[in-house]
Amino acid sequence: MSRLSPLEQREGETVVRVPLTRGLTLTIGQTVLALVGVLVLLGLPFLAGLVGLSWGRLFRGLLFGLAAVGLNLLLRHTELVSFGHAAFFGGGAYAVAVLAAHLEVSEGLLLLLAAVIVGTLLAAFIGYFVAGYVDIYFALLTLAFNAVIFATVFRSGFFNYNDGLAVRVGGDNPTLFGLGWTDLGYDLVLYYTTIVLMLVMLLLMWRLIHSPFGRALDAIGQDRTRARFIGIPVERYVWYSFTISGLYGAFAGGVYALQRLHVQPEPTLYVFVSGEILFMAILGGFTTLVGPLIGGVLLVYLLEATRFTFNYYHAPIGIILLAIVFFMPNGIMGSLPDILAGLRRRLSDPGRLGEDLRSIQSMVRRSLTRATTTVRILVFGVK
Amino acid sequence: MYPVIDSFAVHTLNGLWYGFILFMIASGLTIIFGVLGILNLAHGELYALGAFVVFSVVGYATGFVASPDDPVSAVIFGVVVLIAALVAAAILLPVGAFIEAVFVRPIYERDEVYQLLLTYALLLIFIDVMKFGWGTSPLDAGTYGGLNQIPTTEVVGVSYPSYNIIAMIVGVAVFAWLVWFFDQSKTGRIIRATAINRDMATAIGVSTDRTFTLVFAMGAFFAGFGGAMVSIGPQTAFLEMGLDPLVLSFVVIVVGGLGSLKGAFVGALLVGVISRWAIWLYPAVELAAPFAVMLLILLVKPEGLFGTWGEIE
Repeated sequence: MSRLSPLEQREGETVVRVPLTRGLTLTIGQTVLALVGVLVLLGLPFLAGLVGLSWGRLFRGLLFGLAAVGLNLLLRHTELVSFGHAAFFGGGAYAVAVLAAHLEVSEGLLLLLAAVIVGTLLAAFIGYFVAGYVDIYFALLTLAFNAVIFATVFRSGFFNYNDGLAVRVGGDNPTLFGLGWTDLGYDLVLYYTTIVLMLVMLLLMWRLIHSPFGRALDAIGQDRTRARFIGIPVERYVWYSFTISGLYGAFAGGVYALQRLHVQPEPTLYVFVSGEILFMAILGGFTTLVGPLIGGVLLVYLLEATRFTFNYYHAPIGIILLAIVFFMPNGIMGSLPDILAGLRRRLSDPGRLGEDLRSIQSMVRRSLTRATTTVRILVFGVK
Repeated sequence: MYPVIDSFAVHTLNGLWYGFILFMIASGLTIIFGVLGILNLAHGELYALGAFVVFSVVGYATGFVASPDDPVSAVIFGVVVLIAALVAAAILLPVGAFIEAVFVRPIYERDEVYQLLLTYALLLIFIDVMKFGWGTSPLDAGTYGGLNQIPTTEVVGVSYPSYNIIAMIVGVAVFAWLVWFFDQSKTGRIIRATAINRDMATAIGVSTDRTFTLVFAMGAFFAGFGGAMVSIGPQTAFLEMGLDPLVLSFVVIVVGGLGSLKGAFVGALLVGVISRWAIWLYPAVELAAPFAVMLLILLVKPEGLFGTWGEIE
């Protein structure tokens, strides 16, 4: 029976084997968290309204987050900072829009397939050129490709310039699974289809980064020369991973187009969207698999929601990002274990709080002294 | 009558003007990158801040001089406006120093992705600071007409807006000063030494902290000066104005070579002229043309036209 039971003893802990994924095991706590996560995802259309959140916004956040998961393959493993992932997101979205608007394809899943194909081919094309570059050059090259694509779309009548294209054939929503739906039905079917595919894609990503190929990417990220010495075809592997990460972005972009039913260049293709996708990954925690997803939901929600409620909606996000840089460099998911452990220790030993206060005091005092010295030297000179 | 120059020359001159403005922004970006190793995403906002500050300063300063109706008063007016632009840029010196000392200094040793994140956060905060200070509607300094009263047509022999000619002369002066500064002055040499080898510079008694603060403040100064020079022209100051020049200055410093001053100069003029030619000949590619040039350069000669890693030349 033990072969069938998902429970297993390993290193003194009970772990849960996840079906269909060889080697993926979670502790009991992680399993509970994962199940809660999946349930929240499935219940989102109904739960979001209860707590006053907009479901559509959360959905878009998940999509950008999925693009960030793709980007994270490069960021976390090959340690390449891509500043051009909006190209694939927007490429997927525009593939849907062009097919619907110009060729009158009305089946949503067909459109989605086209989005994935177009975006992935785009990623393969760009990846072929950029795979040999590292550091800032890689970032700037991807940015340049993205900017060229944006500028072309923005100035081209075929893509209807700044106004973008509607994803409607004859005024109707696209069909899903060959059926026409009401507006709400369309949104729900699209959402659940996406969630199922998204979970599959997350599992596949997990599988990928724990495969020999994923380990090779890690090696490339740590030291390219050594990776080459031990026989890893560096450029080719970077090219593959770039293409795969583009696929995630393209899928997300395709769904985005189907959800919005209208595609414009600025929210999908602009260089700053690339920046946002990158920052989602870091905000959520680029050292984890699902961190970018969380970061995406959070950042998109903040960006969209604050725009309508506050006059000053840039600065709060800026301050959050500052806080991430200085206090939580591993992002939300990455820092969670540390924070929880710290909290638990303080709960069991309240005396530590006094120590914390003292260390904060001395830190403030030290930085004040340093700042006054710097100002004094700058104004009056060394003597 | 003075000869009216043909459209080719006009578009080339417009391109040069644009190139000089780009150079002022990109020079700051490239020296900050060359010395500090930080790609400052907030640089475009420093440029926008300069444009907004000059609006306030110019309005105050031009109150003291007669409105320009004859050549002499026009020249006086022009001098006052230029001084106002310098004052506006000078306000960015402490701003730059503050940002470097408080925000940028703690993250030199961190991954570049955090440096990008930090400067992006600063970019967002700057937008709201400007929105708070000057509101959301575009502002026009209203000096363009006055500056054009300055009779340059008689001097150069062609009729072309005086403002553009002044801006170009200022651009050349900025380039000349920067070259002199990094080549001849003691402080400039100290900065270059720090860029080449931080540890060695520290060992011979250079305070790298202060050098870095100075460099960042200088970068902010030139970005602000570029913004000021744009804002006193026919263009308005608006909140989103920092984004395009920022992305174009990336193109400029990549084409010229990261950290190279000469490269930034050549790159800026190249990008400026190419983008204006594109507007004239084939408007659809105006936005894409500079990036196509950048792609070509990166793929063929990744270190740029005058590329030298981490060294200012």
